[in-house]
Amino acid sequence: MKKQLDNIWIGREDLLKEDAFMQSAEKEFAKEEIHYADMASNLAGNRRDFLKFLGFGLGAATIAAGCDFPVKKAIPYVIKPDQIVPGVANYYASTFVNGGDYCPVLVKTREGRPIKIEGNDLSTITGGGTSARAQASVLSLYDTNRFTGPKMKSGSGWKDSSWAEMDKIVSTTISTSNNIRILTNTIMSPTARKAISEFTNKYTNAKVVTYDPVSASALLDANEQNFGIRAVPTYKFDLADIIVSFNADFLGSWISPIEYAAAYAKGRKISDIKQAKMSRHIQVESHMSLTGSNADNRILVKPSEQGTAIAHLYNEITGGSVGTTGLNAKAKKALSKTAAELKAAAGRCLVVSASANINEQLMINAINNALGSYEATIDMSSPSYQRQGNDTDLKTLIGDINSGNVDLLIIHGSNPVYDTIYGTQLAALMPKIKNKISFATVNDETTDLCDVVAPSNHYLESWGDVEAKKGHYTLIQPTISPLFDTRQAELSMLIWAGSANIDLAKEQPYYEYLKESWRTGTFTSQNEYSSFQSFWDSVVHDGIFSVKNESAFSFKNVSIGEVSKPASSELEISFFETAQMANGQYSGNPWLMEMADPVTRTSWGNYLAVPVDFDGVKTMVGYKNLVDGELVELTIGKKKVTLPVIQQFGQMPGTVSLALGYGRTQAGNTGSNVGVNVNDCLTAGPDGPLYFNTNVSVSERVGKEKEFSCVQYHHTIGVKGIDKETNKEINADEAALVFFDYFTGVKGFQGALTDRSVIYTSNVKELKNSIEHLQERRKDAQHLNEQQIYGGFDEKYSLGHHWGMHVDLNACIGCGTCAVACMSENNVPVVGKREVSRHHEMTWLRIDRYYYGDVENPNTIYQPMMCQHCDNAPCENVCPVNATNHSSEGLNQMAYNRCIGTRYCANNCPYKVRRFNWLDYTKADIWPANQPRLQEESVPFMADNLTRMVLNPDVTVRSRGVIEKCSFCVQRIQEGKLTAKTEGRLLNDRDVRTACQTSCPTGAITFGDMNNKSGELTSKLESPLNYIALEEINVRSSVTYTMKINNRDKSFDA
Amino acid sequence: MSAVVSPIRKPLITGNKTYHQITEDLISPTEKTPTKEWVIGFIISVSVLTWGVFCILWTIWVGIGSWNLNRTINWSWDITNFVWWIGIGHAGTLISAILLLFRQKWRTGVNRAAEAMTIFAVMCAGLFPLIHMGRIWLAMFILPYPNTRGPLWPNFNSPLLWDVFAISTYLTVSVLFWYTGLVPDFATVRDRAKGLRRKIYNTLSFGWTGSAKHWQRWESLSLVLAGLATPLVLSVHTIVSFDFATSVIPGWHTTIFPPYFVAGAIFSGFAMVLTLMIITRKLFNLQDYITIEHIESMNKVILLTGTIVGVAYLTELFIAWYSGYVYEQFAFFNRALGPYWWAYFGMMFCNVVSPQFFWKKSFRRNVTLTFFLSIVVNIGMWFERFVIIATTLARDYLPSSWSLYSPSWVEIGIYLGTFGLFFTCFLIFARVAPVVAVAEIKHILKSAGDQYIGENNKGKHQQHGISNSEHH
Repeated sequence: MKKQLDNIWIGREDLLKEDAFMQSAEKEFAKEEIHYADMASNLAGNRRDFLKFLGFGLGAATIAAGCDFPVKKAIPYVIKPDQIVPGVANYYASTFVNGGDYCPVLVKTREGRPIKIEGNDLSTITGGGTSARAQASVLSLYDTNRFTGPKMKSGSGWKDSSWAEMDKIVSTTISTSNNIRILTNTIMSPTARKAISEFTNKYTNAKVVTYDPVSASALLDANEQNFGIRAVPTYKFDLADIIVSFNADFLGSWISPIEYAAAYAKGRKISDIKQAKMSRHIQVESHMSLTGSNADNRILVKPSEQGTAIAHLYNEITGGSVGTTGLNAKAKKALSKTAAELKAAAGRCLVVSASANINEQLMINAINNALGSYEATIDMSSPSYQRQGNDTDLKTLIGDINSGNVDLLIIHGSNPVYDTIYGTQLAALMPKIKNKISFATVNDETTDLCDVVAPSNHYLESWGDVEAKKGHYTLIQPTISPLFDTRQAELSMLIWAGSANIDLAKEQPYYEYLKESWRTGTFTSQNEYSSFQSFWDSVVHDGIFSVKNESAFSFKNVSIGEVSKPASSELEISFFETAQMANGQYSGNPWLMEMADPVTRTSWGNYLAVPVDFDGVKTMVGYKNLVDGELVELTIGKKKVTLPVIQQFGQMPGTVSLALGYGRTQAGNTGSNVGVNVNDCLTAGPDGPLYFNTNVSVSERVGKEKEFSCVQYHHTIGVKGIDKETNKEINADEAALVFFDYFTGVKGFQGALTDRSVIYTSNVKELKNSIEHLQERRKDAQHLNEQQIYGGFDEKYSLGHHWGMHVDLNACIGCGTCAVACMSENNVPVVGKREVSRHHEMTWLRIDRYYYGDVENPNTIYQPMMCQHCDNAPCENVCPVNATNHSSEGLNQMAYNRCIGTRYCANNCPYKVRRFNWLDYTKADIWPANQPRLQEESVPFMADNLTRMVLNPDVTVRSRGVIEKCSFCVQRIQEGKLTAKTEGRLLNDRDVRTACQTSCPTGAITFGDMNNKSGELTSKLESPLNYIALEEINVRSSVTYTMKINNRDKSFDA
Repeated sequence: MSAVVSPIRKPLITGNKTYHQITEDLISPTEKTPTKEWVIGFIISVSVLTWGVFCILWTIWVGIGSWNLNRTINWSWDITNFVWWIGIGHAGTLISAILLLFRQKWRTGVNRAAEAMTIFAVMCAGLFPLIHMGRIWLAMFILPYPNTRGPLWPNFNSPLLWDVFAISTYLTVSVLFWYTGLVPDFATVRDRAKGLRRKIYNTLSFGWTGSAKHWQRWESLSLVLAGLATPLVLSVHTIVSFDFATSVIPGWHTTIFPPYFVAGAIFSGFAMVLTLMIITRKLFNLQDYITIEHIESMNKVILLTGTIVGVAYLTELFIAWYSGYVYEQFAFFNRALGPYWWAYFGMMFCNVVSPQFFWKKSFRRNVTLTFFLSIVVNIGMWFERFVIIATTLARDYLPSSWSLYSPSWVEIGIYLGTFGLFFTCFLIFARVAPVVAVAEIKHILKSAGDQYIGENNKGKHQQHGISNSEHH
């Protein structure tokens, strides 16, 4: 500070102008630190710092005192377990099994909690793929509706019991029972079968009755007649050039969909462009199944015409003369063409059917035999045990119960009151049975009518083994101690049988039993390992063990009887199993309930699929003028239900269809009273239930569904129909986009959908032209993109990693496994029916489904759509607070803590993949008052403390009011990078694989580093079939799709 | 201000007013007991405002999920209302600033109310960007303040951030302008008041004495503020239009937006001024100050801007067609013929067809028709924003994600609530301050009063070249 006047001084030093003082006076801000004698050196500060601390301290204290944050308790490890490193995941090989559903898996556990299911790559059956059901199975471990211990019926409710008490009571019951029946779904476990046989050996009046919720009994019976083996053969879809499926949904739900999908996709991928070759798939069905949607040609036959359709093909191929009257002429013609194709490709083709009529299955076998499939595409030498149900046994059982011949019914993992055709009858008969015991883990319709529940473990808490195919063993090992006071059903059976082979003093008696069973069984049938311990260690480690154990087989001709006759009724309804819900076994699982159906794109309920047609002007007219989401009264025989409809492209006129597995009454918070149950509407056929009904009528509209939960309102991209006025072929869907034409009569904006660079399709025969067209379009787009002032950061992205993804649309079958895997990996909340109906679903990855081609019988394309991680991302520059930004590795990142929820990014996303937390779906908000109760449950899905155990600790749970979206599994990227770094090597493809990629049964998704020139992704990016969705808008997406190729023969439609 | 006034100019103040009469007419409403109409209006306004506040609290408490937005249509009524109110808020500054610079004397009759309207409209508008946030409690993140997070700054590339600056600047300048004009008038109120009222108005008028120095500074400040505010008239809505124009969504991404939005804003602003002034002049008997001449002038502006807007609509359609770009073409096709065709039709009719009535002089001077059309215009301008925002988002690039939208009761409640806020503020304003700028009216009395010019005073002032400043 400059002195103004010399005669003013502020002290002796100043007056005398002492040097030291003058120097320090020159500097207003003294550099010397002031040392306080009593202050620790690391806290040294000056007056300003003190004031800062004081101000901050006061402010923080005020805020902290004012807000009452809920206390969430976490308990640290007092003694750290050896195997667990906090923050590092352990993987255990196990097997997902539910009845006949099978998937060898690796279970990811974190701090002792199973949180994610991965496929086991070592499996020769599934090849590491998974299904939506397998992915979601980890959530059912933490189902809040699980039985917490043994229970006894008391009035209409349950009374807690103890295992000791229960064993005593049950033992008395068993020993006093004259006729014991064990009712079970397919059991693939040799050891479990052994345990049950110990029981049936002890109590010779006990019999096991096996059925499957969706019957494959006729197929098994036919095989028994033809081969003497009551089993499903191994189908080799990859070796078939022509696949004909009669109503068998082999990609979605039929027998072993993961295995079939993987093989099927091999024949669908285009590897060599010059000599493009792909299998040809013809589906004969009435409703659009997941498999049918992937087919090249669909031959439409009414459900009751299935038999004659098979018969017609049988006649054409084998020269038989089974009556085919009633089969529609168009189908007849197309089937004749199919027969010609099949004959030309004999030895390289495969015919399958889901028919529940033995004679029809016998014909299928005869067709396959005539075509030489048994040497080539069907392998009977390693039969599959994935379906073992016997409908005749079930029928007999019901008869026995009816006549009072059963006094103890043991329900083993099945729910016959709901999922059999005898459900209503059985429910009424249950009181007639003196004692009923259930092993159910969760209450269901059947268990609710039992007296005793001896709850079994979830498979993730159990020991067990599986023999899905002859000689193919997998092991089930527990990944967590039982959460509740439950006991494995097998162990209960052994205890009740008083088995001498079980040592209850051991900590895990069934484990010892299992091990012993392997020591005396599988171990002896191999010669790879000499010591049992090393053999056992390897099996537990790998989860898989195969022995060559082929059985000889020969085809035996049998005479073929009557097929089902076509009905003359005006309307027929078919019932089908969906990939997610099966026949209700999975309706208690929120992930599967919320998963949009691959075909209809609806969730939370079954929708009556009605045929739709173009009126030639500007409307897609549904059956009886019904519009999506309208309610109708459906009458099937005596049953009358009100349910919503959905216009289904590809649904045969004169038919409607409805999914099984809904309308359960005892399926916890999630599944109860969602949709309608039609298991009692199946037709009783000669050999078992037939999955259709001809005595059906649909009323006019009676209302509108309040919560129409369909995530996709527009279903098509360029379905072609005939314009009524000009008689020319136009894009019918584009004409139908016009709601009001100001009396100008415009036929929509032709090209409005087809000229979009969203999907590219081609027939395999026109591939050359299509590729040229695609390349031209891409060149145009790239030319446009060059005319820009945005410099970009390509140079930066060319260094280090640059993450990208490739999705092969020819491999994608739309099964939805990736969508569920994504929910599981990334803690995506379940929002419930009401929120889905408001388009508030939170899925980071969705599978868009579009129909194209013929409006009456279209082809389908599935397009997995997730954040495209654009390198010129429109979402990033519009965020006012930088909450979403780009990493140097090309990732589009979200900083949830920074997000204030303006949703501008979501508006500006061309792919509409950004999701907003509209309400407090996760209970992560600081205000607890606004958690939505979605299905009248007490806390939101995924917010219960038990359910929250499934959360991935590596992924933040998002609170209300923030945007979220696909992160390319950034937590996996970080983990992979760390692994490579600690191992001191370069990152490779295996280090980082996204959840969608690992879950995919067909290998449609490839993730990787675009800068890694030797990586798998780079090689995939070379294909001329590739395109970038919406390339012309220059957002520089990092996700590449392939053109969808079909092998349709247009002459089929004539 | 002195000027030679052409004899063919119509007088802007009728009724042969003296300075005292002007004071009486314009100040007395602040001194009398409120009229029955005012009380009823006030009760209604406050009730609606209360409902709006409830709906806003509901939104904050429950979440944006209480609105019917969805994963495809992430903005709808919220931003529609925001742009609509901001547009309405444009007339005030235009009248105050641009017309002042252009020496348009007719502005003095309406500028005070128009400025007040601007401020209240901007307040209503400013609400929406705040409450549409998912986490309003973190709204301070959009402000560039030093912080301990790096420091982490807002994203200066984001049009939403530009909005923050544009709107806050606009509000600040508008308030300053309005208040500056009020200072001498508050002094006039003070001079007639007693007791506490006097003290309050004395404070409000900053001790204004009416000295020549005060007047000189006052005039300078007005001019400086006018100079500052003029670019704002153009910039605010330009920046609001950037919210859409800088995006990639077809139908939003158009370069025509800035001029088109500004014209639309002036259009709707003048319509709202007319709606309000026609009511006010009736209620407070101000027909002598807000004359048919004023109404006609404003109708001319409406005709002009309405036609500009119409040309913009047609240009958009032409460019969409001419671009050969399927997304753009479909976006406009969809606007006109898609599920929301009625909104587009309503917009076209209200904004382009209805102002064409004003080509006819007798219609321009018809108060009833003007009142009716001013409301029609504002309905049309609301539709315009709805069409741009909701119907564009409803069907964008990927057909799989197309969706539909209709408002929830909360969204409707908030929109109604802003009317409550607007009219509550306006009614309070009409009670505490003169709704017509007293001092400025007095300025022009001798150049625009009917006893000095026009029919009543043929040839008189031509000789004298009346200057009114000496009469203060």
